[in-house]
Amino acid sequence: MKLNTSRFGELEVDKKDIIVFKEGLLGFENLKKFFIVDPGDQTLILWFQSAEDPATAFPIIEPKIFKPEYIVKLLPAELASLDLESINDASVYTILTIPKVVTEMSANLKAPIVINNKTKIARQIVLQDSKLEVRCQMYMELKRYIVNYSSDDSTRTTAQAPKVANSETQPFEENTSKEENANTTGKEA
Amino acid sequence: MLVLTRKLGESIAIDDHIKIVVVQIKGKQVRLGIKAPKETKIHREEVYQAIQDQNTEASQSDLSSLSDLTSDLKKK
Repeated sequence: MKLNTSRFGELEVDKKDIIVFKEGLLGFENLKKFFIVDPGDQTLILWFQSAEDPATAFPIIEPKIFKPEYIVKLLPAELASLDLESINDASVYTILTIPKVVTEMSANLKAPIVINNKTKIARQIVLQDSKLEVRCQMYMELKRYIVNYSSDDSTRTTAQAPKVANSETQPFEENTSKEENANTTGKEA
Repeated sequence: MLVLTRKLGESIAIDDHIKIVVVQIKGKQVRLGIKAPKETKIHREEVYQAIQDQNTEASQSDLSSLSDLTSDLKKK
């Protein structure tokens, strides 16, 4: 189906790539359907685009990119609410805030987004760990990762037109080109 | 909203498994003890507010602010 977005124009989205937030996100309870957009800019930052409101999109990133030791521990009731047996069957993303001074960008580690890879049901889950920050500054860690990564991978292509990414793809995986990752189905690679 | 008056040391039971005790009263501050099953999530209300604020701010990011970040991140 074709969906209109204010940032990326009209995008073709496969129905199976629609992620459903039964409860919405905090402050956005009325928006239930999202999909992931990979702008292909090599920053590893993706977008959660609302399928219902073209203007609403959240920049997101996989937290293990800048914080390898970050582990999401879910309570049995939380796993059950996502139909998950284990967190290993889920994708985890954190929402980014990018202020004018970009070096002050931050990630919300306290309330990650957890997506069941099979059913595409998702929730923003507030973790109990009181040490986790809602605004964890991580510019330096991300930069370090990107600089190391791009020097390892000479085959990367330059930025291209926005494409819809499969939430199961891992854009930071080595030996895989950007085009393959950005592929809507991820199966032709 | 149900409003109850409690004295120091007194408690409130919610359902069968949750108990809230007034542990200390000091000026304008009240310390509460909460006994609840492990799977019960307990947060200060401010946590939810902070997350909601972060979500709202994040949703206002545009591609130009991100392109500044992109060029900055790629500088060695």
